[in-house]
Amino acid sequence: MLVSIVDYGMGNILSITNALEYLGVDVILTYKETELRNSDKIILPGVGSFRVAMQNLKERKLDVILNELVMKEHKDILGICLGMQLFASGSDEDGFSEGLGWFSSVVKNMSDKLDDNVKVPHIGFESIETTKKSILYKDIRNHSDFYFVHSFSMENIYDEITSTYNIGNTSIVASIEKDNIFGVQFHPEKSQDNGLRLLKNFLQK
Amino acid sequence: MAKKRLIFTLLYKNGNYMLSRNFRLQKVGNLEWLNKHYNFQNIAFSIDELIVLNVEDPEKRDLVEFSKDLRSLSKFCFIPIAVGGGINSMDDANLLLHSGADKLVLNTAFYSNKKLIKELIQHYGKQNIVSSIDFKRLDGENIVLVNNGLTRIEFSLKEHIDSVCELGAGEIYLNSIDKDGTGQGYELDIFDEVTLNLNTSLICAGGAGKYEHFLEGINKSYIDGVATANLFNFLGNGLQKSREFLIDNKVNMAKWHNRLEHELKNILRINNE
Repeated sequence: MLVSIVDYGMGNILSITNALEYLGVDVILTYKETELRNSDKIILPGVGSFRVAMQNLKERKLDVILNELVMKEHKDILGICLGMQLFASGSDEDGFSEGLGWFSSVVKNMSDKLDDNVKVPHIGFESIETTKKSILYKDIRNHSDFYFVHSFSMENIYDEITSTYNIGNTSIVASIEKDNIFGVQFHPEKSQDNGLRLLKNFLQK
Repeated sequence: MAKKRLIFTLLYKNGNYMLSRNFRLQKVGNLEWLNKHYNFQNIAFSIDELIVLNVEDPEKRDLVEFSKDLRSLSKFCFIPIAVGGGINSMDDANLLLHSGADKLVLNTAFYSNKKLIKELIQHYGKQNIVSSIDFKRLDGENIVLVNNGLTRIEFSLKEHIDSVCELGAGEIYLNSIDKDGTGQGYELDIFDEVTLNLNTSLICAGGAGKYEHFLEGINKSYIDGVATANLFNFLGNGLQKSREFLIDNKVNMAKWHNRLEHELKNILRINNE
C-alpha cells in the first residue's frame, strides 16, 4: 500500500511518516499530482498557521489538485490537526482566510467560547467521546486518550462530527467524517497505540 | 481539562546524553547506551512527552549532527517530542521539525531575539513554541539566566514570565538551576509564587528524584506537566513505575495499552503479503 503525505511545508512530517512505516506501508512525501493520484490514500498533515498553510497549498496548486482527487475522484483523505481544519470554509485565524471548503464550517479561536481561566493553546491528552459510528474507531474503546495541541477549533459543524471532547462544559470537535473525507483534531501519530490503531483503520478502510 | 503529563528530558551534547547537576554536565552515554538502559520503545509508553535539549556550548553546536540523533530517537516514539537548544533561525527550526521535532523549545531567543520568536509563532503557531526558562534564587530574588545558565538578565523571573507570555509562548518549561539534578524535589515554593495565575501551559523541571516528587508537582492545579532529566534515578522501568504510582494516586493521566503496540508493528505489510 502506498500512502502519500501532502508536502506543503507545514510542521513535522517525520512523526507521521514514522507511524505509517511502523504499520508497514510505503510512504511518499509529495505535492505532485501524479504521485498523489497514484497513491492509495492521502494524508494532509499540518501544524501552524491556517493562513500560511492555505498560501502554501495554493502556491503548489494543491487546493485545485486535492479538490479534484478528493471531491471528484473520491480518494480517501485524512486531515490531521490543521490539516483537518483546512477542510473548512475558512478560518478566523490571523484575519479571515478561505479554506478548501469541503465542510461548511468555520475555524475559530477556542478562547472565544471558553472561560477566561482555561489555558489556550490547549495541550495534552484528552479522552474523546465518540458521537457516531465511524470506521476510524474500530477496535478503539470509547473515551480513549488522544493527544491534542491546538488553539483553534471547528465550529458550525454538526452532522459530520464523529467525536468530541470537553473542556469544562464546552464541547470541542475531535473528529469529522464525510464519505471519503476524514479529519482528526488530535495527533494520532502522537497518541501511542490508540493513534496507531486509528491510522490502521483509516488505511484499511 | 487536559490530562497531566509525565515528561522525560534528554540533554544532548556532541553525540552523548548528559547528566546535569546545577547545570554542570557529566557525560553518561550515547544513543546506544540510552537504548540499552532505557529501551526507548518501552519508555515511550511510560511518558507523555519527550523533550530533547541540545546543551552544547553555542559556538560548538552542530544542528545537523543533532538532527540525526533526533531522527533515530523519534523512530519508535509515538508521543510528542519537543526539541531545543541552538535554534537561531527559521532554517534551524525547519531542520528540527523535519527531523522528528513536534514542538520547538527556545530559551535565550525569548530574551534576545524576539523577532525570531514572533516569526516562529506566525509560521508554526504559538502552540508549538515552548519557552524554556532557567532560574535560580540569589539574595532573596528569583533571577533568570540565559545562554545555558551563564548570563543573568536584568528582569526578574516574574517579569520574564510575563514577557514570554506576551510574546506568545504556547507553553513554559520552568527549570530550577538550584534543584537541577539534585533529586531533592521541585522548587515548588517559587512555582507557587510566580506561576499561580498563569494562563499558559506549564511544565515544571529541576529536582525530581523519586515518584513522590512527581506527585507533589503534578498535584498543583497550575502545573500541567512534570519533567525529569535525571538519567539515573529512573533507570530501567523507573518511569513506568512512576506513571503507575501517579495513576494509583488518582492523578488524571492518559491511559493506553503497553503491549498492543507490538501487535501493530508491520500489521499492514503482513496483511498485504
